[in-house]
Amino acid sequence: MTLVRSDATPVIESRSGVPDLETLYRAHAPTVARWVAKLAGPLADVDDLVHEIFLVVRRRLPEFRGDAKVTTWLYRITERVAQESRRKDRFRRWFSRARHVEIERSLAPSHLTPVDEFERRQSTETVYRILDQLPGKYRNVLILFELEELSGEDIATLTGLKPATVWVHLHRARARFIAEMKRDSGRRT
Amino acid sequence: MKEPTARGSQTDADERTPIRDRWSARPSGDSDEALAGALLRSAAVVPPFPAKNLAEVAARLRSRERHVPRKWTWQIAIAVGLLLFGGALSAAVMHILRRPAVSPPAPVVPVSMPASAPARRAHSVVAPPPAPVLSPEPEPSPIVRAEETHAPRLAHSGGTPESAAAKASLEPLPPAAPASPSALAQESRLLAGAIHKLRQEHDPGQALAMLDEHRARFEAKGALEPEANVTRIEALLRLGRHDQALGLLDGLALTRAGVGREMLVARAELRAEKGRSAAALNDFNSLLSADAPPDVVSERALYGRATCRAQIGDGAGARADLEDYLTRFPTGRFADRARTLIGK
Repeated sequence: MTLVRSDATPVIESRSGVPDLETLYRAHAPTVARWVAKLAGPLADVDDLVHEIFLVVRRRLPEFRGDAKVTTWLYRITERVAQESRRKDRFRRWFSRARHVEIERSLAPSHLTPVDEFERRQSTETVYRILDQLPGKYRNVLILFELEELSGEDIATLTGLKPATVWVHLHRARARFIAEMKRDSGRRT
Repeated sequence: MKEPTARGSQTDADERTPIRDRWSARPSGDSDEALAGALLRSAAVVPPFPAKNLAEVAARLRSRERHVPRKWTWQIAIAVGLLLFGGALSAAVMHILRRPAVSPPAPVVPVSMPASAPARRAHSVVAPPPAPVLSPEPEPSPIVRAEETHAPRLAHSGGTPESAAAKASLEPLPPAAPASPSALAQESRLLAGAIHKLRQEHDPGQALAMLDEHRARFEAKGALEPEANVTRIEALLRLGRHDQALGLLDGLALTRAGVGREMLVARAELRAEKGRSAAALNDFNSLLSADAPPDVVSERALYGRATCRAQIGDGAGARADLEDYLTRFPTGRFADRARTLIGK
């Protein structure tokens, strides 16, 4: 599994050596959208988050000197925006602001026998309910490894962590995930 | 900070060992890892971000306008909430400040006052006349109609606001009684509780129980009955009780706006699932009117209509819908299936 999938085109750098926003967007927006959908969870408004991320990219682009890989830099912005979105979501749910989005997502089947889709959706909700009990550093590493199917080395590159740290986080994330899964299952039975 | 581990440095060394297998790649089984893998597999399926949405976001970025999507709603709600809270707080403070006027008479303390003491000082140690015994207001019935509580109180007393205010300033205040929440407040609290159970605690069963309580207390006349219905349908769907959800949806007069549109497409899909193709087609057709926006509801409706048409033997119609679908939603969630079905 490569860090950036084949849907990304090579980044064309501007004369200053730093890619421009348009180029970055064309090359990385699909990847960023996939990352943020997985990091922020099933209730996230991906369109808005992608927009938010690239607004940050536009604002910070002049500061980007190319010390880190573009993907690493983009991932860090994505991670922060997703984290902020989750924080806001917890708050926003109290106001039923997400009613339309939630209903649409809760009902939208991918075919006309909604049972499978319904079960899949419930499982996804369970996964994110459990993931949300994990500390952010464990949660995100587990998502990148299990859901995004990145290798430990790729995760290290993306997050800027040492490979050994990635494995430690992953081991602990797995242990916590199992514990939370059992707790969640106990609560629901 | 590094987390303490049970077995010390050996465990630390174990934890640095690379993990070569993914749970999500494991076959189904009864082990914890296999169960976790099955759960994670379901969450790994994220449809690709549609090209149409990518283009829309790009356009928004180019416009250099910071899009603030629907954020005002909750910000206004917070502001209103804070204002109400502040108002309630100041009312409570005012009430406490005015309480001495109605507090029970203090015991008369025999104080020998010098004859020269000013008369007004004597007042401060003499108990005020006992407050008149007021018959307490009858306890309101727990079932209070919203219309009753919404009616201005002065309309019942027949007085003007000015005369009422003057009367209040002259008469001792009645003993403080716990405020009874209005019917609307009770109803919204109950409904908010149900939504919380459903969305935050992911407990559709409890949400449904609260909605039943809502129904029992407010029958079908609650001011929030439409919201309660929508929440009930969502809870039923989450519980997999499609028949009941469909039963409710069948009884609703759904519009093609807002939540009604989403309910309509859900009803159409459930009707199609139950083999009620003609009724489903009616719903799909109404969703696919000429002015329908090219959104996810239209996408579902178009694909749904194709399936219904196929079910009733209208192969040409189904094919036309699928081709239309691929034209309008080339990267839509049913696009691959549509291509397979029409052999493209």
